[in-house]
Amino acid sequence: MILAMFRVMLLAMLRDRGAMAMTFLLPPLVFVIFATVFAGASGDDVRLKLAIVDVARTPASGRLEAALLADQNLRAVRVSPATADQVRKRVRAGKSDAGLVIQADPGAAEAPFLIISDPTRAIALPLTQGRVQAAMARHLPDVMLAKTLDQAAPVVGPLSLRQQSRATAALTGLREDALAGKVPADQPQTFKVEDISQTHKGRGTIAYYAGAVTILFALFSAMNAAMSLIEERQAGVSDRILAGASGMGPVVNGKFLFLLLQGCLQAASIFLVAQIFYGVPVQAHFVPWLITSLTAAICAGGLALGVVALSRTREQAQMFSTFLILVLAAVGGSMVPRFLMPPWLQSLGWFTPHAWAIEAYHSILWRDAPLTSLYPAWGVLTGIGLGGLLIAHISTRLLRR
Amino acid sequence: MIEVKPILNLRGAEVSYGSRMVVRGVDLSLSPGEIYALLGPNGAGKSTLVQAICGRLKLTGGKVSLDDKDPWSTPSCRRLLGLVPQEIALYDHMTVRENLEVFGRLSGVKGPALQAAVSTAMGLTRVVDREHVPIRHLSGGYQRRVNIAAAILHQPRLLILDEPTVGVDLDAREAVDAVIRDLRDTGVAVLIVTHDLEQADGLADRVGFLREGKKVMEGPPRTLIKEAFGEDMEILVQLSEEAGVDDEALMLSAGLQRRGRTQLWSMLDAGGYATAGRIDSLLRQAGLAPREIRVREPSLQNLFSLVADWRRAA
Repeated sequence: MILAMFRVMLLAMLRDRGAMAMTFLLPPLVFVIFATVFAGASGDDVRLKLAIVDVARTPASGRLEAALLADQNLRAVRVSPATADQVRKRVRAGKSDAGLVIQADPGAAEAPFLIISDPTRAIALPLTQGRVQAAMARHLPDVMLAKTLDQAAPVVGPLSLRQQSRATAALTGLREDALAGKVPADQPQTFKVEDISQTHKGRGTIAYYAGAVTILFALFSAMNAAMSLIEERQAGVSDRILAGASGMGPVVNGKFLFLLLQGCLQAASIFLVAQIFYGVPVQAHFVPWLITSLTAAICAGGLALGVVALSRTREQAQMFSTFLILVLAAVGGSMVPRFLMPPWLQSLGWFTPHAWAIEAYHSILWRDAPLTSLYPAWGVLTGIGLGGLLIAHISTRLLRR
Repeated sequence: MIEVKPILNLRGAEVSYGSRMVVRGVDLSLSPGEIYALLGPNGAGKSTLVQAICGRLKLTGGKVSLDDKDPWSTPSCRRLLGLVPQEIALYDHMTVRENLEVFGRLSGVKGPALQAAVSTAMGLTRVVDREHVPIRHLSGGYQRRVNIAAAILHQPRLLILDEPTVGVDLDAREAVDAVIRDLRDTGVAVLIVTHDLEQADGLADRVGFLREGKKVMEGPPRTLIKEAFGEDMEILVQLSEEAGVDDEALMLSAGLQRRGRTQLWSMLDAGGYATAGRIDSLLRQAGLAPREIRVREPSLQNLFSLVADWRRAA
């Protein structure tokens, strides 16, 4: 009996090519778009468009401007006419992400730089500050040292003649080296950077979005397929079945079984693209990936059947499921990574299946986490799915009356 | 003579929703090989009664039994019945055979028996030639017959049909009627819920009229008609033009009643053809040329109107 209903669902999908394309082609496509958009925006590939003007026109300011224009991590342009207003115009027009006005010699004590920032591109402000600091350290070390000495003098007292002579020699040497394009060899490093990705920098983001798109579409497609419960009710199929001895139990279970298969195949189509095009190591973690996909499909299938079984009409189910899918996806991190959300929203995210599914996929494919760490996610996903299935059974049983 | 044991028995069946009683003390029994048509205006309680027979609703009073078992408390006895809903309750993306296989399995038919049941059902409902055609590509008549086939795969002893010919043309209706007769001849007890009085008249061995939840009349159609109208014949007068106020008064004085807002007038009279001739003369003298005057035996339609009139009078 269960297999009979499974067959109905399968044929409904196989004979509706549009629905099949939506189920298996759209998710990988959306995943590729998400991966491209968000992996590119993870930081390492950002090349800021910076408008620069040097109104100070000192030798040091000229060196800084030249260094920034040559910086490969920036797309810096010198504005013309060379005025601060021209920089403001470019930023306001969106032609540049941020603007830098060198309004005094970089060695000046009080705010030699003015950064013109666009609040809608807030990330550009710290990035500009960072690039200016880096250029100063790399190309104007003499100015930095002179500034430090000036700041230290009131604290440690005036330098002796011998000290002044050594400082002047050091400043001259640094300036000459910098002008000759030599990077200071003994420049002390404030930060050391260690990258956990080792070789594949974007893979973590890719794995994240593969999981995010999988659970998003699992729920989306499951809701769509579960609508057949309402169609059957309206077409009298439920009446026919309920008049028999078997009741709606096999119908609900058959649909659930189909939704499991659909969810797993959909996950497979997304992660296949992730493996082939982005090198996400699905094959190397096949078993935990399969269990996660299965539990995600259980969750989506059960939840969809539960929601649809509680709805009286297709319109009601569509409204409710659309709302539910969008809210869960937004809060659960399918659209924007949860670490970018406020803390309370991050905590709220744990009440969505999306957060658990994404976490499980990310743990397997990015962090190489031990299986034991996945048990909570698998448990929560399975629990939600079985809860939904139970609601669907109870609700369709009540139909009898 | 061997008495056949009824498959369906209702004794004093009552259903209430709160203080509103929708089925009031209905008795009904149906034997194998019998067609029973349950008639009545909308809201008479027909659907509620069917739900109770299918075990989807608990009676608030009285008893319902399918082969001596209560379908509400003993769901397994519902294997004895098949329901043909008013809608085409089939999967329209699937072929006739695929649909029947699904509904066969959902009715508990498995393995080789399933294929045999599908073939038998297709044969009985005369849809074999459309076996591999998706439902959405079938005509209304074929869809109706497949709708019936899907309910008989598990060989039910009681078949309930809810408006089985609604929305189909005359040919298709006759084909459906023939299928129902064939099923009756195989020993299936058939309960038809219908508004199609002509179908009930031609098909049912017995009819029962429900009015406001109460069975007000039951018996073979011809017997009921005879009891209600005796030797009366129905005389139908079709006018060719709109009757004026004076013409209407004339028609009424002749004993004719207008049927709705049409130009069709009718009366029941034992005089039959003689009365029809008298009316014809009367109308012609008044300058009203009737397009047609017909004389026929009263039908269930007349009985239905009678029941409805009682309802209105009440």
